[in-house]
Amino acid sequence: MKQTQNTRSSHPIDPRSKWALWGLLAWAIIPWKGLEYGLFESSFSEILHAYAWSSLNTSVLSLLVFVLFLLRPWRSLPKANLLDAVLSLGTFVGIIFTAAVLKESLGYSAAIQLTFLLFIFSLALARLGFIQGDPFMTTAIVVIMASITIFVLFPISTVFSKVLYLEDGTFTPMAFIKNITSFGVGRTLMNSLLLAVTVGLSSTFLGLCFSLFTVRITKRFKGVARIFSMLPIVTPPFVIGLSLILIFGRNGTINDGLLALFGNGGLFIPSGSEGWFHRSAYIYGFWGIFLAQTLSFTPICFMLLVGMVSTINPAVEEASVTMRASNAQTFYHVTFPLLRPGIANAYLLAVISSLADFGNPMVLGGDYDVLATEIYFSIVGAQLDYARAATLGILLLSFSLLAFVIQRQWIGKKSYVTVTGKGSGGYFQPLPALVRRVATTVSLSWMAFTAVLYGSILLGGFVVNWGANYTPTLAHYEELWARGIGYGAWPSYITTLKFAAIGAPLTALMGLMIAYVTTRKRFVGRGVVDFSAMISFAIPGTVIGISYVLAFNTAPILINGTAIIIIISFIFKNMPVGIRSGISALSQIDKSLEEASLTQRASSIRTIFTIVLPLLRPAMISAIVFSFVKSMTTVSAIIFLVTADTQVATTYIMGRVEDGDYGQAISYGSVLIVTMLLVILLVEKLVGRSRIERA
Amino acid sequence: MNKQESSKVQLSGVVKKFGDNTVLHGIDLDIKAGSLTTLLGPSGCGKTTILRLIAGLELPTSGKVILGDEDVSILSASQRDVAMVFQSYALFPHMTVGQNVGYGLKMQGVAKDLRTQRVKDALDSVGLDGFQKRFIDQMSGGQQQRVAVARALILQPKVMLFDEPLSNLDSKLRRQMREDIRRLQQDLGVTSVYVTHDQDEALAVSDDVVVMKDGEIAQQGTPKELYLQPNSKFVATFMGDANIVEGKVVATGEHSQLSIDSITVKTDKPMPAEYMDKTIEIAIRPEALSLTATDNSVAGLPVTILTKAYIGAAIEYSVQWHTQELFLVSATGNQEFNIGDDAKVFITPPGIAPIFT
Repeated sequence: MKQTQNTRSSHPIDPRSKWALWGLLAWAIIPWKGLEYGLFESSFSEILHAYAWSSLNTSVLSLLVFVLFLLRPWRSLPKANLLDAVLSLGTFVGIIFTAAVLKESLGYSAAIQLTFLLFIFSLALARLGFIQGDPFMTTAIVVIMASITIFVLFPISTVFSKVLYLEDGTFTPMAFIKNITSFGVGRTLMNSLLLAVTVGLSSTFLGLCFSLFTVRITKRFKGVARIFSMLPIVTPPFVIGLSLILIFGRNGTINDGLLALFGNGGLFIPSGSEGWFHRSAYIYGFWGIFLAQTLSFTPICFMLLVGMVSTINPAVEEASVTMRASNAQTFYHVTFPLLRPGIANAYLLAVISSLADFGNPMVLGGDYDVLATEIYFSIVGAQLDYARAATLGILLLSFSLLAFVIQRQWIGKKSYVTVTGKGSGGYFQPLPALVRRVATTVSLSWMAFTAVLYGSILLGGFVVNWGANYTPTLAHYEELWARGIGYGAWPSYITTLKFAAIGAPLTALMGLMIAYVTTRKRFVGRGVVDFSAMISFAIPGTVIGISYVLAFNTAPILINGTAIIIIISFIFKNMPVGIRSGISALSQIDKSLEEASLTQRASSIRTIFTIVLPLLRPAMISAIVFSFVKSMTTVSAIIFLVTADTQVATTYIMGRVEDGDYGQAISYGSVLIVTMLLVILLVEKLVGRSRIERA
Repeated sequence: MNKQESSKVQLSGVVKKFGDNTVLHGIDLDIKAGSLTTLLGPSGCGKTTILRLIAGLELPTSGKVILGDEDVSILSASQRDVAMVFQSYALFPHMTVGQNVGYGLKMQGVAKDLRTQRVKDALDSVGLDGFQKRFIDQMSGGQQQRVAVARALILQPKVMLFDEPLSNLDSKLRRQMREDIRRLQQDLGVTSVYVTHDQDEALAVSDDVVVMKDGEIAQQGTPKELYLQPNSKFVATFMGDANIVEGKVVATGEHSQLSIDSITVKTDKPMPAEYMDKTIEIAIRPEALSLTATDNSVAGLPVTILTKAYIGAAIEYSVQWHTQELFLVSATGNQEFNIGDDAKVFITPPGIAPIFT
């Protein structure tokens, strides 16, 4: 032990000094301050002025500390490692706080140097015995903790401080109470909750019917079930709402049809009579949102429940039947109770999704206002009331988190379904007649309705004006796509693909790293990482949006209006996708594989690259694909963050919706759906093939 | 493969805590160079933790782990000269048999030609040369086990660790594999530590057995010592079946004597003089008890037959003796008794162990 340490410290250059050297290099050649117009649009003098050495600024701190680390005069002291750790972390925090106080916006070089300081801190921590002295894992954990702190915890805390403090920093708890009791807030909250609670019921019911239908009643709709499970992933926001308007809206198919039959001059109305049906806008409001959200979230509940339904061991039903229970008794006393945790889980998931939903209420809300949209309306337009937006954001966040905590703490642990390697023989007993009839009827009607709906999405883009003029036309597509690459939908489409492509690998990497360290490593602060990663599951997009606006609009981290903030919001909004696929993939990989590699003299970094990553490849690819697709459909988190230069597909569609240009909105939506389906199918094909090659 | 230099393993004062939960309470353990030592105990006794501490997969909360003459207490697994065979085998599913076995050599930067040759030798020693190109899922359970052993021994480690290596095999294969492992270990002369909860397996393969209970060592010794002279009720009952009866010490010294009910028996265990006339517990192995008819003149305990089970080579009886039930095994061919019969039980050494500390 002594020997090894001696060889280590007599190593020519300490890795900490190496990072200090790189830090000095970054200090010298990359601009320290943030550039208001970006690296490529700024003038020479602006760039020159942004350099660390062109003025007296916070960077003297890092310069000083890097020089110290280069020499490490304290290297032979007994507590050298502790000193390293304290000094590097202290400088990291110090730079951020000093910059905040001096209102100095930090730029590229600052970001790089702060990262290097974290590396030095990690190396010192590893020497102090953190993660069994493993420098690579320590660095990964430190980087994860720092990014979660900066991009999740800090923005959320800014939202809270916005409602508790005035601009000049006075603490005013009464302002929050005033805000929360102000006109409309209570009603909005009640609206959101009522909607979430009812949508939860309907989506769970439909999801349960459909999963019983596809697993236990007929196998004929397996393909349909697969398509349905993909729908929520590839459906952009707004389009379900829009297609409902096409069908049920004031000028929708149903209205037209009823009018033709029962309206003034209708088929069944004698001439001269006024008819008893008039055009109506019944779809706007509670029932419209209810219908749209039910359609949107039923597939989510279905996916969760179908897993539960198909993993029930048929042997328990057989056991019940051998004890003289009828099919009905077996269902109500054995099968249903086994499904109950799954049902509760699906319900809470639907509640959380409904609370967070922005697109459907935006299109169909009418005067039924909910939290997610009210946050938006508080900031855009004439109001610009950040305190009110923050108050609504806190309410929304609290209820989402509440539902999420219940789901995890209370129900998450109550799953009876255990997955074992043993093949379970036996057959399911037939469902009771009533259950069978209800599930079949509900499922078939729901399938038909969804088919009509998506049909209208695809067709809606090809007629002049649905409801008024059904002449087939390509005008909407031409308007969007045929005016050249710099016009119509092209810029936003390209931007979306670009941002999603940059964000997706980073999202997957972040998610998998978090999954890895929280499931595989024990370390101080694991609970914090676990918790913050988990709450990111429950943070509604609108709250991310408002928190980013509030947090990153001022020094030291002024990145509002840039592409960076949109990509970062993609990463932290969609990180749960990566975490989830990482956790499920890791639970399939025996931990002793990594241990075997370690006992075969492979270092932890080599173990990651030769064992963990190759085995995680399918999970990684699916995480990348899904975060790519989710980025393409994200709207609520970025609605406040986009500028004219960073317009993305969803915000462009929203613009068309606000202009009442439903034809274009729906055609763009169809193009997005097709794009995403192509990406998923293409990758699936590639991955599938490579798997076959190996075997 | 050549016989290699072997090292002793020492644990001194090793404490291991997971959070507030203390798993090992100050373990002192010496494992002789070149021996195969088994760690035996019920689940949760800390035997696997000891193995993982030797491997470097866990670091001790306090205390020292010494391999050979080197203190490796704070070295990580990849810095230690040990190899491990895992319960699940932990074979890399994305690599071939050859790549699995050659993995450690590749990590150390051994040239490809040499690596191929050594993989061949290692696989040959477990009878699997020629399977290099197969993937793991194309191998049977027993073959996977052999690959795992080959992967461990190719590094010529100072210490080989086996974590319940046979628990995933069926009983016939298990018997054969444990003989193979034992032979390989003796051929190579490599110090080995073997964890199991199966006492038959422990008795069959080991030079030394360490019985553990609740994070402490209950007893260490050769299989025979542990079986015939357990120093506690726990060890007595864990190492095979034992009848625990009370008896009075009537003679101390090299061969002590005990009186049980009306009979006196000799033991092989020396006993200090201060135990004279004391009543202590005695563990008696089932095969030390024999049944005879009540009219036989030999001194015995009066019993009534409660149950009888024919198991092929022998018949197992449980009998009522006063308020206590005794369990015994009688070779087929001996006089048979039926349920309800009265009989006499007499006791013949070895297999009689007075329990005292």
